Amino acid sequence: MTEMLKGTLEGIVLALLAVAPAYGYEITARLREQGFSDIAEGTVYALLVRIEQRGLVDVERLPSQLGPPRKVYTLNERGRDYLEEFWRTWSFLTERLGQLHEGGR
Amino acid sequence: MAAKWIELVTGSLAEKKRYRQYKARIGQLPPSHRAAAEAVERYLMYAGGIVGGDDLVRMYGDLVELFEQAAAQGTGVRDIVGDDPVEFVETFVANYSEGSWISKERRRLTEAIARAEGSPQPTARPEAPEGTEPS
Repeated sequence: MTEMLKGTLEGIVLALLAVAPAYGYEITARLREQGFSDIAEGTVYALLVRIEQRGLVDVERLPSQLGPPRKVYTLNERGRDYLEEFWRTWSFLTERLGQLHEGGR
Repeated sequence: MAAKWIELVTGSLAEKKRYRQYKARIGQLPPSHRAAAEAVERYLMYAGGIVGGDDLVRMYGDLVELFEQAAAQGTGVRDIVGDDPVEFVETFVANYSEGSWISKERRRLTEAIARAEGSPQPTARPEAPEGTEPS
């Protein structure tokens, strides 16, 4: 995984959770569907642990037919604020990089 | 009373008990997942740098859960740890590094720089006019 992707993965996962709550495996599956095929499930899991520790998501344990209970992650108010900040940074970066890219031609 | 005294010497008994339970759960995993989880655990033990007992136990709990969930869903070990297992483990362990020696050193560095900033600093020297030799 490139460093650039690593830096944005948190925002990508929060953006996915903004659409609908999900458990870890679902998030990895959605990322893969969208072309992020190199992402390890463990990396996504580590990221979910982090955003839980930072209070950006609410977590509920739901029983599963497949073995142990699953943690379902829901974006909360704090997470929404954080995601907005992420998009602001993202817009700034894409605008500036776009200008540099155009200027370099 | 006696238990308290022993804990002073050995660390929390409750933590030890939970740790043993996690070890037992790793033992219940399918062979491939068990081997992978044990390899990750070994790495964490030697290279994780975690010194706080509660961080360590929390970390093992999360590790066991990851492998249990993956085994239940039929996710293979390569899909859990990815092409670069070291990168995965480093990302994973970063969540528990609050009690690690490196975190203490990072805090110490940040504080030392803040103190240094408060000490008298040299004033910026005006540039010498052109054609003159600095004395």
